[in-house]
Amino acid sequence: MLHTKVIDTNIEKILISRAESFISSSKFGASIYFTGTVRDLNNDKIVKGITYDAHNEMVIKSFENIYKDADDKFKIKDKAIFIEHVKGYVNLGEISIIIAVACKHRDQAYLLSKYIIEEIKKKSPIWKKEHYKKDESAWLKGTPILNEKI
Amino acid sequence: MMIRLELFGASRDFSNKDHIDLNLQNKSSVKDLRNEIIDYLKVNFKGNQEFIKVVNSSAFCSEDNQIISDNFKITKEQKIAIIPPIGGG
Repeated sequence: MLHTKVIDTNIEKILISRAESFISSSKFGASIYFTGTVRDLNNDKIVKGITYDAHNEMVIKSFENIYKDADDKFKIKDKAIFIEHVKGYVNLGEISIIIAVACKHRDQAYLLSKYIIEEIKKKSPIWKKEHYKKDESAWLKGTPILNEKI
Repeated sequence: MMIRLELFGASRDFSNKDHIDLNLQNKSSVKDLRNEIIDYLKVNFKGNQEFIKVVNSSAFCSEDNQIISDNFKITKEQKIAIIPPIGGG
């Protein structure tokens, strides 16, 4: 069971409560909520906020592919996975991503949660522009996307 | 053949719009598109080396959301997205 969405921060908020509603079930004995938040310092620069950019369709496609790849790799049958990532401006301390995973057992949930965030870093077309003091800002360098090419 | 290049991430600094329209010859490859973007940057941004680095390290994505290689032949007018190095989460 999978839920994916790109949240436009100009329109709505990213909410843990939605993840709770999606993954809660008496079938599962372990739940993990991973959130990424905007940190105050990066490369010795004081960060005020981050603007996230995303290619929405490709992001959703990458989330679905990561879910399928996790299926093939770990063969964990019973699970609920909730992935939302923001697009737009996010203030210091606010959430940029939620990955919520529910499985029968804790080792499965830990495994999936870590796998998903690491794969998103490599395969989901999302970009960050950090905002600093004195109205300075910069796109972070990132790493080339690892998807297969045709 | 007009190609609408959709801009994302660092490439958004290439224009005030969210895209650039480029005129390519029929059956151009993605490599040709990459060179055309660099020519555009030479004309409009005095060959800004940071921008050219972004182009050289970017992937490209077709209208049907496939990542396309440098050898991929563009056979019709379409939107193509430039995918600079990523870093979400």
